[in-house]
Amino acid sequence: MKKLVALLLSLIMVLSLATAVAETVELPRNETLYFAGQQWGTVNSWNIIGTNQNNAMAIAGGPSGYRTLMFETLYMYNFMDGSMKGLLADGDYVWNDTMTEVTVKIKDAAKWSDGTPVTANDVKRTFDIGVEIGNGTGTGYKAYIAEIVAADEKTVVIKAAVNADNVPVNPLKVVDFLSGAPIAQAAWIDTVAARNNNDPVAILNDPGEDVVWSGPYTKYYADDQKVVLVRDDNYWGQDESMWGKLPVPKYIAHAMYADNAAGEVALKNGEVDVCQQFIGNVQNLWLEDGLPISTYYEEAPYGVCLTMPTAWYNMNLPVLANNVALRKAIAMAVDYDTIIANAMTNQSPSFADVPRSLMNPTAGEQALYNAAEVAELQWAGNDIDGAIKLLDEAGIVDTDGDGWREYNGEKIALNAVCPNGWSDWQASMEVVAAAGAKIGVEITTLYPEYSIYQTVFVNPNQTEYAIFMWSPEAASPSNPWTRVNQFLGTEYVGVENNWSGNWGQYVNEEADALIKKIPTTTDAEELKALYTELTKIYLTEVPSFSLMYRPSVFHAVNESVWTNYPAGDDGRNIPPADCTDGYGIAALYELELVNP
Amino acid sequence: MKGYRKYFGKKILWFVITLIVAVILNFILPRLMPADPVAAITGKMAQGMTDATAVKEIYERYEKEFGTNKPMIEQFWIFVKNMFKGDLGTSFSQYPRKVSDIISSAIGWTIALQLPAIIVGWLLGNILGALAAYVRKFFDKVLLPLSLFLSNVPAFGMAVVLLVVFAVNLKVAPISGGYAFDMIPNLSWKFIASVIEHYQLPFWSIVLISIGGQAIGMRSMSIYELNADYVKYARFLGIKDRKIVGYVFRNAMLPQVTGLALSIGTMIGGALVAEIIFSYPGLGSTMYAAVTAADYPLISATTLIITFMVLVVTFLLDIVYGFIDPRVKAAQLD
Repeated sequence: MKKLVALLLSLIMVLSLATAVAETVELPRNETLYFAGQQWGTVNSWNIIGTNQNNAMAIAGGPSGYRTLMFETLYMYNFMDGSMKGLLADGDYVWNDTMTEVTVKIKDAAKWSDGTPVTANDVKRTFDIGVEIGNGTGTGYKAYIAEIVAADEKTVVIKAAVNADNVPVNPLKVVDFLSGAPIAQAAWIDTVAARNNNDPVAILNDPGEDVVWSGPYTKYYADDQKVVLVRDDNYWGQDESMWGKLPVPKYIAHAMYADNAAGEVALKNGEVDVCQQFIGNVQNLWLEDGLPISTYYEEAPYGVCLTMPTAWYNMNLPVLANNVALRKAIAMAVDYDTIIANAMTNQSPSFADVPRSLMNPTAGEQALYNAAEVAELQWAGNDIDGAIKLLDEAGIVDTDGDGWREYNGEKIALNAVCPNGWSDWQASMEVVAAAGAKIGVEITTLYPEYSIYQTVFVNPNQTEYAIFMWSPEAASPSNPWTRVNQFLGTEYVGVENNWSGNWGQYVNEEADALIKKIPTTTDAEELKALYTELTKIYLTEVPSFSLMYRPSVFHAVNESVWTNYPAGDDGRNIPPADCTDGYGIAALYELELVNP
Repeated sequence: MKGYRKYFGKKILWFVITLIVAVILNFILPRLMPADPVAAITGKMAQGMTDATAVKEIYERYEKEFGTNKPMIEQFWIFVKNMFKGDLGTSFSQYPRKVSDIISSAIGWTIALQLPAIIVGWLLGNILGALAAYVRKFFDKVLLPLSLFLSNVPAFGMAVVLLVVFAVNLKVAPISGGYAFDMIPNLSWKFIASVIEHYQLPFWSIVLISIGGQAIGMRSMSIYELNADYVKYARFLGIKDRKIVGYVFRNAMLPQVTGLALSIGTMIGGALVAEIIFSYPGLGSTMYAAVTAADYPLISATTLIITFMVLVVTFLLDIVYGFIDPRVKAAQLD
């Protein structure tokens, strides 16, 4: 009996192993760069024109920094200075005078993995198929791009969508396409379309195992536990017109960790080199634990913050919609320093360092509005007396002596909501609730599961969440316009499944008119005036209030195997974008081994 | 024999009825969650999109593709029809992966981790319980209380303690995964050694907490049996101790067999904690991810597997009981 059991057990073990058999063995440690915090599940597709890919190492990112390991965009965005560096594109893009057309040249050296050149037709076909089958590129840009024309083999002309007056709908979004849309090979698109009988859904769901790529890496191995990319040593980018060399690591590997904690342990153990996860008190890793781990900046905030997680007021609730004083009072009373110290462990500048506006803390965006003009409207928080005074003056007082203020005879009772398990956000919501208690406004916290939260907060008619959290866009060529539109634009009001912006459903026609002017405004002073005016409206009306600043990708690196990662003071201007996104990929060409 | 046939005929009928009810519940319950998985897919797709109508288009396309815009009863018939064809649907959270594909790649790991762990835990627990009842001394005074203490540690607590002590501090065990982070699966001794090494902590985290519960049950049953009249009578007859102990344990074993069968039936749920803490692949973490993402097809499939396993195991148990215990056999024959 015992033998039988033992035999059975061994058989099961061997069988389960046999399900995951491949040909190769170990990845040499000094040729492999390990990542954490990007890939959370088994890779489901390599189809670059497909949809809903979870293939974070190969198909991910947006205009702020597309991950160009396997598929490439025309330009790489650098959020450090807002610049666009040509990748497949040769030189700068050129607008015509009326901003209805932008011309891009393709590099002569740019080649596909099958050796054929990258052409203007590839760009055209990538956009066209996107519109036909409704993938992210097509659906996301067809409102702004009317047509893409291949003027000749290497010249792409992107024609902007125009309104009745022949004014482009939004040139900023056209530029987003340049750094946000990965280009696919026209011939491969034809192959996929043919084998799926041109059925849009079938094309979108094609796993694309035979995909043709132009980037420096390609798929090597993927299973339930990891995904590995291998360098393509024939990569065109080693041409002098691009990088002049190959990226240093031969393999890019990402193990799937169950959660942030597991990824962090792996980083500490040296099993992960580049970690895109929030690590609380990250400085303790080198200060207390003495580990060879570093971040972009040695001092707080350690990284580059590009976005601001925000608490949105639900304007479907009359008590919030009708009382600017209440909205502003709560926002003034919140202790942001506590949020930044506790929830973000100081990985965010304070609102005293970077006063609140519609801009992220980068120098480029800060220069886009006149801070002095709005200084009186900016609040740094924890101003309990000011908030109480504001409420008293507005007549929102405690009439029945129970310690809570009333509105129209009814006690004001709000909830502060964010998804369960998003611990830094939950900590922020607790601080908001505490601020409410200090000024006599009852705010209770509520943490539904994310699957429920996201169903409710995208519903434009919801009245369940009063104050709820979501982050606006980080950085991209179209920002800060996109973010301003998310904060104040009315185009998202009443839209079902609203993932796009203005989640509080705030309406302000004056702001809307100003927002519409920005995309076609090229004069710097005029632009600054528009952004300043919008900031004034935002800080006066307080339809939402940001709680902290936050990086869009975290960037902690373990230097036990690889070194020479980009750092804030190294003069190389490579953004801390995980060594993979946008111009951040330049880091891969500069890495060095600690022990060559 | 006729009684037997009637007995099992009835059993099979109940088995089928339970299965049908279970399928209906497996379908309906996840769909009663106040969450919209199509919104989640749309959200992922819509990242960075500023055109509101584009996002709406995406939502409607997925709604159509998943059939979530159809009435529930129609969705149910499609579900049943596809189930008979072996098609458990497409996962929402891992779209466009098929549910059957996700399950087949995960189930091997869960069985390889859970089955040996459950059996080893059960064997060790029963041996300890028996020794505590019969030999007493050290087993009853030290080992049994210790195992009881361990079995009362919550599963996640045990897993975390093992992880911190052996992997993080002592560095004698790997921290996560089913095999080394720098390996690609292959049939080599090195790889197999790596799998076995990664197997240790999740395995012991399950075994250690299951020993105590089994041991205490076995101990009580054994003490009860040791004092039974037939034992005393056998001793008077001068039958050897060894032989008597054999009888005693065979009788004491009966409830334990039920316990074993049920833990095998519910092994997927049991694997959840170990799989999550050790980032170990398998169905437990798949199910957890499916629940948090309101991935109906994947939730329905994993819960269906659990239901099916429990039903099959209890059914087999009925048959096996007849062989182990003549009293049960007599009852079945009635």
